[in-house]
Amino acid sequence: MTTTADELTIERRGHARSAARRRTNFVIFLGPAIVLTVLFFVVPVIIDIAVSFTDLSRSLRISEFTTEQYEKVFRTDRRLSQVITLTFIYVFGTLAIFNVTFGLILAITTTAIRKVSGSFFRGVWLLPRMSPSVLYILLWLWAVSPTEAGLVNQVLMQAFGLDAPLDLLTSAPIALIIISNGFIGASMGMIIFTAAIRGIPEHLFHAAAVDGAGTFAKVRFITLPALRWPISFVTIYQTLSLLVSFEYILLLTKGGPFYDTTVYALYVYRRAFESGQYGYGAALALFLIVIGVVVALIGWRFFDMERLLQRPRIEVH
Amino acid sequence: MIHWKIGTAALLSAALAAGSAAFLAATPLLAQETVKLELWSRQDPSGPLRPGNVVKAAERLNKELEAEGSPKRVEVAVRESPAKGFDDDALQLLKVFGIGEGPDIFIAAHEWICAFQEDGFALKLDDYIAKYPQHFGTIFPSLWSSAKCPDGTYAIPQDAEARMFFYNKKLLREAGYEAAFVDAMPERALSGDLTMDEVLEIGKAVVDKTKAQYGVLHRPNKGPDYIMVFNAYGNDFVDPATGKLLLERDKLAAAFGWFERGVKEGVIPANNTAMEFDALRKEFYTGNAAFWMYGIWDLGSVGFPTYGLPQDEKAFFADWGWIAGPAPEKGGSPVSLTHPIVYVIAADTKEPELAVRLLGHASAADLNTDHAVTTTHLGIKPEQLEDPRYAEAWPLAKATELLKITKFLPNNSQFGDLNGIIYAGIQGIESGRLSAEEAADFVIEEASASLEDVIVK
Repeated sequence: MTTTADELTIERRGHARSAARRRTNFVIFLGPAIVLTVLFFVVPVIIDIAVSFTDLSRSLRISEFTTEQYEKVFRTDRRLSQVITLTFIYVFGTLAIFNVTFGLILAITTTAIRKVSGSFFRGVWLLPRMSPSVLYILLWLWAVSPTEAGLVNQVLMQAFGLDAPLDLLTSAPIALIIISNGFIGASMGMIIFTAAIRGIPEHLFHAAAVDGAGTFAKVRFITLPALRWPISFVTIYQTLSLLVSFEYILLLTKGGPFYDTTVYALYVYRRAFESGQYGYGAALALFLIVIGVVVALIGWRFFDMERLLQRPRIEVH
Repeated sequence: MIHWKIGTAALLSAALAAGSAAFLAATPLLAQETVKLELWSRQDPSGPLRPGNVVKAAERLNKELEAEGSPKRVEVAVRESPAKGFDDDALQLLKVFGIGEGPDIFIAAHEWICAFQEDGFALKLDDYIAKYPQHFGTIFPSLWSSAKCPDGTYAIPQDAEARMFFYNKKLLREAGYEAAFVDAMPERALSGDLTMDEVLEIGKAVVDKTKAQYGVLHRPNKGPDYIMVFNAYGNDFVDPATGKLLLERDKLAAAFGWFERGVKEGVIPANNTAMEFDALRKEFYTGNAAFWMYGIWDLGSVGFPTYGLPQDEKAFFADWGWIAGPAPEKGGSPVSLTHPIVYVIAADTKEPELAVRLLGHASAADLNTDHAVTTTHLGIKPEQLEDPRYAEAWPLAKATELLKITKFLPNNSQFGDLNGIIYAGIQGIESGRLSAEEAADFVIEEASASLEDVIVK
């Protein structure tokens, strides 16, 4: 015969077991992600902060702890305002023209045509992303070569009768870095938007057609509203990605001519690794981290991402 | 069965005997102590014998050690770095030393040695140099000044060269200049009669009147040659009284002005700094540019072997030539730059004495001449001049004339960084982003903000 006290004990044991199971599940399911986050995000940020308060320079030696690097950032570095303005133009331009708008156009057009043709064109637009970055940029360097042998110049001179070859790397370097990065960035938006368009119930389009909606009306009133979340996600994700990536710029223009295409992340790299000013590079990088977090939070708020990530209504036990 | 056993025993005995013999033969070797010296060298096609001569020197040193009855034997392990230039290589090596993985010996451009000395990575060599006059006694005294830091000698000169403006005589004649005028240019440059602006004028005439596209081309990365132009306009970059970096605004602006005028006149291409090294060489050696600002070894490394320039002296000077960096105005001083490469020994090497002796053998006249004649670099000792191979290599003898007026880059630990800023200034001017005045201000601002103890006048 069991007493109330025994029942309570059993119930407590049950709770205790359930709590232990929750803890175990937490460790099993979230543990690896937490370890990775700590190792690859938290620890580097802490190291970066520590280094930014030192005079670590080209021989990797620290002789003093100092706030000198921050004084340089705020007082003596005259290049910084130009670099920040350029970064804004680069990120906003690439995002607005290619990563979102062009990605969206690609997704809408390739889902509107025959499936085989759509897949083919999506495959073609994925090629830049699949190519090794060095190979991709080598092709660009050939395309924009300032000689008559460059692809762009061949087309312009032979088809349009241009007299002298253009030197786009000198005359339009910012446009070039936006286009070369945009061709790669557009494919990510294209895939995500395509998946989202495929997820729209077919009958909505049929119903709209019955109601007399044309192609543009269908895009305007069915497709675009359904893509709100993917567009928000691609915008925030690609903003952060563009803020910190510079490898294609480094390979294509080396940040030049002069400092014309030196975006913030590349500026950090040039200061730290080309001039050996690691302490200063760390201080500059810290601002990049802060900018990244602020941009992510603003995007989160602006696009109301909380609603996107809210708990599902259906619970699975 | 018995036969088999006998066979096995015989085999075993033979194996034992062979093993014992090998052991006995190896015994004297075991008494030897092999000292491994690691040598850091940039992968550089313009000087493969810089490390190669050190490897050869180990054989000579080992013979000497054997004769002395020393149990030590030296083995050189070469560690090659893929850096594009000596500046990148030095920055990489400073990091390697910083994490305690530095080599015993390294090869560097002379202007970097004080950066290593300041951080305590380079061994002071004055006493060793005095101790081994048979190895170092005859090295040209002028070269030793490129191996010195404020408190002593920290390197051993490995070679020297001369930087100049190569020019294509054929193009100049095509542009309407008399052959006598073209042939007299080297003399006029040396006497201070030919000016920097006249070079631009000639370049412009070539661009305007011939099929050639370019007047003057220069290197597309940070390096020493264009410093010649700054030297010509009076920039020495170091205050002789204090040894600190010195920037003189007017002199900087004057030198930048030359590049600015060059680009405006269409003589220097606006994208010179965006072009590839090989592409620039191709433009000059295939007759598409009047002048190429570079160094004498380029003939041996590229001009002769790759583009088939005549190797015969007379045939070469019929269509090609070189001039010293001209004076800024008539009657001024011409300039040339030599950029010695040096051997440096690490401060923490366990065998400094052996490392010094090893480099002593690597600096032997015959080995250095091998390097000089195969890569068109200047030798380090007067006895090399008597080597018939050296005498046959006429570009060396001819380029030696420039040593009378030659200068070095300053041996200041921050000069490498300053040179990067100067190069960025040139890039700013040529791409039309800066005027000469703005470039001078840019260099002063950047250097004052990122370097220490810069004197600005």
